[in-house]
Amino acid sequence: MLEIKNISKIYGEGTAKVVALNNVSLLVNEGDFVAIMGPSGSGKSTLLNIVGGLDHISGGEVILDGNRIDSLDEDALVDIRRGKIAYVFQQYHLIPSLTALENVLLPLTFCGANNKDQKALGILKRVGLEKRAEHKPSQLSGGEQQRVAIARALVNDPSLILADEPTGNMDRKTGKEILALFDQLNKEGRSIIMVTHDPEIAGYAKEVVVLQDGQIVDKTNQEGGNEC
Amino acid sequence: MRLYQVVVKDIMRRKKRVLYASLGVVIGITTIIAVLTIALAGQTNIYGQLEKYGANLIVMPAIGDIDIGLGGLSLGTLAVGDNYISEDKLPEIRQISDGRIREALNIEDQGDIATIAPKLYMNTKVNGTSVIVVGVDLQEERLLKTWWKVSQGKYLEASDEALVGAIAAELLGFNVGDRITLNGGEITIAGILEETGSNEDYQVFVPLETAQKAFDKEGLVSSIDIRALCNACPTSEIASAINENMLGVRAVAVKQIAETEMGMLEKVSGFLFALAAITLAVGCFGVVNTMTTSVHERIKDIGIMRAVGASRNQIMKIFFYEAIIVGVAGGLLGYIAGTLLAYIVGPLIFGGVAVTYVPQYFLPSLALATLIAVIASVYPAFRASRIKVADSFRSL
Repeated sequence: MLEIKNISKIYGEGTAKVVALNNVSLLVNEGDFVAIMGPSGSGKSTLLNIVGGLDHISGGEVILDGNRIDSLDEDALVDIRRGKIAYVFQQYHLIPSLTALENVLLPLTFCGANNKDQKALGILKRVGLEKRAEHKPSQLSGGEQQRVAIARALVNDPSLILADEPTGNMDRKTGKEILALFDQLNKEGRSIIMVTHDPEIAGYAKEVVVLQDGQIVDKTNQEGGNEC
Repeated sequence: MRLYQVVVKDIMRRKKRVLYASLGVVIGITTIIAVLTIALAGQTNIYGQLEKYGANLIVMPAIGDIDIGLGGLSLGTLAVGDNYISEDKLPEIRQISDGRIREALNIEDQGDIATIAPKLYMNTKVNGTSVIVVGVDLQEERLLKTWWKVSQGKYLEASDEALVGAIAAELLGFNVGDRITLNGGEITIAGILEETGSNEDYQVFVPLETAQKAFDKEGLVSSIDIRALCNACPTSEIASAINENMLGVRAVAVKQIAETEMGMLEKVSGFLFALAAITLAVGCFGVVNTMTTSVHERIKDIGIMRAVGASRNQIMKIFFYEAIIVGVAGGLLGYIAGTLLAYIVGPLIFGGVAVTYVPQYFLPSLALATLIAVIASVYPAFRASRIKVADSFRSL
């Protein structure tokens, strides 16, 4: 469903030039769970942002469901974010003035869909937070906030979920709960691309891609070898 | 959940910031409302003084030499001495006045319409002190001087009675029941008027015939006040009709005098209003500033919203909704502050004039404030809509 062909990303110009991605190619099929690993500054997050159309590339192609998305204008990218792709961030990125329920409703609000409280509540229930629906992010723990963020990602029923260090701010136990949730979503048929620097977390993925200095240095297929 | 609800919830969390943002609008609206309210109070004040004068028209002999004044207002000149109007002219004046009013209001009633009050002014000495004695038509004068209140005694009834202005009574030491000599004739003080704040306070009123007899002016009057009790009455037309058709008299519509006064007031108000507009424009830049700050503060939120599906237009809308709330808050506060300012400053400008709040200014002040806030938000909102998601997260 997603094909990345020879992409590169260069920040700055001249002597200040930084090559974040150098000729990276990757194929993600329907139902895949890909972990992107690598040390900080290896280009993991940049790659994820490019896949989601949040950042522009300097060269190459990004093809989603047969269509190039790297050269799309803003309006077309908005359509992709409203249906096919959803994000889960390390910092959760919830809107602080909105309750858990309202944060989940937010993508629907931007789509123009109102009165979807029942749908959003149902999704909150799925992530085990129906009792915290009226709490503001500041009243929730890190794990709970990330569950809200996952619920928000699910509300538009995306086929591809992009997760940037989703457990990076959590203790191991909470992190495992979140990963179990991702695993479950993957088993439902959603494709997941997850950035992490923790090999143990990468162990949940079917395929692990290792980035270093903007290049893919290793690809491992772990299908069936899940130690979970 | 709708987009505006997202904005309202966000604003509830940042009340102080929003209040601060609206400050620019508040200052501008405050100045404008204060200027308008004070100007209106001044206008009402002038009309009030004219209303108190009672007459819509004054008919005088064609030659005049004494100023008639009312407070600070000049009401033209009045002749005394050898220049008088013959009483014979009263029916013609009534005919012209009532005729014009009937025409203007399309009425057929043949009865008297306008109040036509002839007067004879005489400068004389009573008990050795100079006073102005005014001979008046009892019924017509009563209709004209609706604000007269007799503080002691009673209104004029008989031909040998006098009504004395408050200050004249005090200066001359008159009391009700006193008998005075008026150019040889004996009359009784029937009543003393309450103070009115005009030159009536210095005058002594007697029936017209009594004054005419006492001063040997039978059949003559000094001036004639005409009061047409309607707003649409064509006073200027009546004045020109009298001036065209009758010799030896000059009619002036009080409205014309009022218009001159109003012209002055309008010039001053116009200047103040221009100043207020400049204040509003400066306030507008204040809003641009605070809105830009608001965009910067919320780069992360904007990035999140873009990432979960907000379009550029929706981001702009969010800031315009915020501008509307800032504008409404600014308009509300500006209206209140401006009105308060008018209450404080108005009496200083117009010498104790009573300022009243003007409810009709409320909605326009909200609308103007909102318009200003929205205009001021165009650029910041555009900037916000151009923020790139990846950049917004990277800047953290």
